[in-house]
Amino acid sequence: MTDLDSPSPADALDGASTVEVRTSASAALIPTIRAVASDLAARADFDLDAISDLRMAVDEACATLVDVASPTSWLRCTFLVRPERIEVHAQVQTKHAEAVVSTDTFGWRVLQTLADEVTVHHDRDVDGAGPTVGIRLDKRSGDVMR
Amino acid sequence: MCDSGRSDREILDATLSRPYPDTAVLAVRGEIDTLTAPAFTAALDELLTASGEVLVMDLTGVRFLASSGLAAMISAAHRAEDRGIRLRLVITSRAVRRPLEVTGTAALFDLHSDPESAYGGRD
Repeated sequence: MTDLDSPSPADALDGASTVEVRTSASAALIPTIRAVASDLAARADFDLDAISDLRMAVDEACATLVDVASPTSWLRCTFLVRPERIEVHAQVQTKHAEAVVSTDTFGWRVLQTLADEVTVHHDRDVDGAGPTVGIRLDKRSGDVMR
Repeated sequence: MCDSGRSDREILDATLSRPYPDTAVLAVRGEIDTLTAPAFTAALDELLTASGEVLVMDLTGVRFLASSGLAAMISAAHRAEDRGIRLRLVITSRAVRRPLEVTGTAALFDLHSDPESAYGGRD
């Protein structure tokens, strides 16, 4: 298991409630995942713009990952709901160890605009399930600067 | 990728109409994401090849707009500009307004909150 696979003990201790959604890595299932994102943000009292941003960011991250996923991959999306913010870890198994998420695209720029923080993680074959690539993003419940 | 998960959510409903001789309106309903972006792009092509000085995209029935849809809209705005036309958008929902505003894409269009004002400027 990599640290993207499940919340670390530290995550479990700091009051985050965790929701994990796992689907096959198919674009047709992304609407379900973004609906979960939207629902969690609404229940966590995110403002309406932040709910919209998170829904779009999760969609973007998942669509980016599905593009590089192997045909038999799952798409695992873990939501850590914390006070005032939601952290999302999305991950797929890739076709090749060299598969990379391109970050010079319009979609990636949009993702960076929508999320407060976004990072890519590539992992070689750690547990025999094949190499993986993941995107972590962080979204605050409202614009504190406003 | 297999297509076994196809559902009617993938289907984007796009209808082109001509309420006035110089006006073409593309009314879109559904969710614009990576699945439906190709259909959306094809519908925009149809709008852009329509004759007339007033080209309107009515997005009041759109419930989700992803970057793939924004990219298609940006490309359409530039193509319209080449014809000397500024595309008009009819938007009422946050699901469309927010992505357009947060990415700065809204600046490429004339925004309207109802179809009549989008067709407006005539007696």
